[in-house]
Amino acid sequence: MKNFERYAFPIFFVVMAILPTLLDPRWQAVAITFLIFAVVALSQDIILGKAGMFNMGQALFFGMGAYITAILNSHYGWPILATIPLAVLLPALFGIVLAAPIVHLRGDYLLVVTIGFNIVFVQVLQNNLGGVTGGPNGIFGLDPLSFFGTQLTSQLAVYYFAFIVLLLTLWVMNNLEKSKAGRALHYLREDHLAAESIGINTRVYKIFAFGLGAGIAGLAGTVFATQYAAVSPEAFEFIVSVLFFSIVLVGGSSIPGVLLGVFVMFVLPEIFREFATWRYFVFGFAMILAMILRPRGIWPATFGKIPKFLIKETRHGA
Amino acid sequence: MDIFLQQLANGLTIGSMFALVALGYTMVYGVMKLINFAHGDMVAASAFVGLTIYTQVMGQATSLIAVVVIFLLTAAVMACIGIILERVAYRPLREAPRLSAVVSALGASLIIQNGIMLIWGPRMKIFPELVPQVYWDIGGVVISLIQVLILVLSLILMVSLYLFVEKTRIGAAIRASSIDQDAAKLMGVNVNRIIALIFIIGSSLGAIGGLFIGLYYRGITFNMGWQYGLYAFIAAILGGIGNIPGAMLGGMLLGLFNAFIAGYVSSTWADAFTFILLIVILIVRPTGLLGERVAEKV
Repeated sequence: MKNFERYAFPIFFVVMAILPTLLDPRWQAVAITFLIFAVVALSQDIILGKAGMFNMGQALFFGMGAYITAILNSHYGWPILATIPLAVLLPALFGIVLAAPIVHLRGDYLLVVTIGFNIVFVQVLQNNLGGVTGGPNGIFGLDPLSFFGTQLTSQLAVYYFAFIVLLLTLWVMNNLEKSKAGRALHYLREDHLAAESIGINTRVYKIFAFGLGAGIAGLAGTVFATQYAAVSPEAFEFIVSVLFFSIVLVGGSSIPGVLLGVFVMFVLPEIFREFATWRYFVFGFAMILAMILRPRGIWPATFGKIPKFLIKETRHGA
Repeated sequence: MDIFLQQLANGLTIGSMFALVALGYTMVYGVMKLINFAHGDMVAASAFVGLTIYTQVMGQATSLIAVVVIFLLTAAVMACIGIILERVAYRPLREAPRLSAVVSALGASLIIQNGIMLIWGPRMKIFPELVPQVYWDIGGVVISLIQVLILVLSLILMVSLYLFVEKTRIGAAIRASSIDQDAAKLMGVNVNRIIALIFIIGSSLGAIGGLFIGLYYRGITFNMGWQYGLYAFIAAILGGIGNIPGAMLGGMLLGLFNAFIAGYVSSTWADAFTFILLIVILIVRPTGLLGERVAEKV
């Protein structure tokens, strides 16, 4: 297992870096979809897996990033890459504002409220609030990527854009785990009361997790808008949030588990066409079985690197 | 004033459907402290089961007896599915952390919703016209026979459920299990049986709610369960979750709220307003209207 962890990332990196040159355009598009949804699922993992908050509105932040890019590009002529700061900051800010009054709610109530946010968001898009969201049809005809005036129209450019975003997300998550905030989130997920009693401001860290997850999802939204050169409300319905939610829970909130979940959910249906209609059905069973047989997910996360002798000692002490 | 009376009539109709479905949520929550997310999809499934019983078993008969049989058969089928659901998805997790059971409920919801899609297809189906289209025009307010039927039948069901829970020995056992399961066990209540009974009652009431939805709106889709389920759940929270009269009151109030939003603002914003209402309730008064003051922390 240790060897696996040591070599898995470099192998993944090399494979993903040379992969698009081996694929035809259709499969390149599938690979881009995998990268984008992997980023959204990892951002959901920060909120749901790391902080333990039952958020079922991740498609809201994803969609918000996509719409910000689309609106700034089509109505105001900003280049796609220039929209990134706002597409990250606004969803993050929005996540903080939305989360602040509700983070104290217990898991199942939080779930229903976040579903509510997602539904309100889609309704706002469909009703064309402010006349900028394009109503039920959404916005289409976005510009391709451009880098200092050079147009990058090829799909390969979108692929590497998505790949860089995924690497950035993995880097953030890796650093988060080692940071003070990551440890705080870990404690408060394991035992809320104990975390509070050793002086962790649980409220602040929960809101922080919401903001971080929302920002990363917003960034994934920019890539999504770039890939399709269009955005429309149905791509961000709350059933999409249900998907990310179940991917993280079934995957067990670890990076390989989440990537595996995204693969099963979004790439397998492309390989086996019949699986597309069965995937939710299969995922439903996977959720029940995972909760009964492997409550920590199929590929459970391990936290940090605590030497074995320390773990034994604490167990004897307790 | 006409709009007001018309929306009042519509709101009471929608409200009684919400209330029937909300009872399923609130009873399960009362005893198991679990939001049964699969309940909404059970409601959707019952409309499809009713449709199939109508075409395959009853030979498309619409006589009064045939309609009664369709209602009873659908309720019986859904009660069986409810028991299976509890056995497979919830009982193994009764001692587990409660959020595990919530995830299991979401899984069950996906299975039922997509099971409907795999059996009946992804397209909208038209529910049969089981009740004749009769309308009365009372001073500008149009009321249909279906509306009267839904309102009267729902009230009868709700009053009988209330009397059953308040006045009978089994009802006392249900109340005892929802206050303290362990104490109820010590007093000789078979909690497993009570939970099975609650799933039977909740699923059959939900089934009747689902048939009403089919009768009233006519178009039924495989994924409509989430919509009605969430509305009914909000109704249950509004009235105070776990509280049976609360679910009835909450359902009626939410139905009226929706009808008035549709009448005076716009039906395209109804969902948004309903969820804003939910968020406000959860922040201001999480125990709901009839919830006890010393309810657990939400």
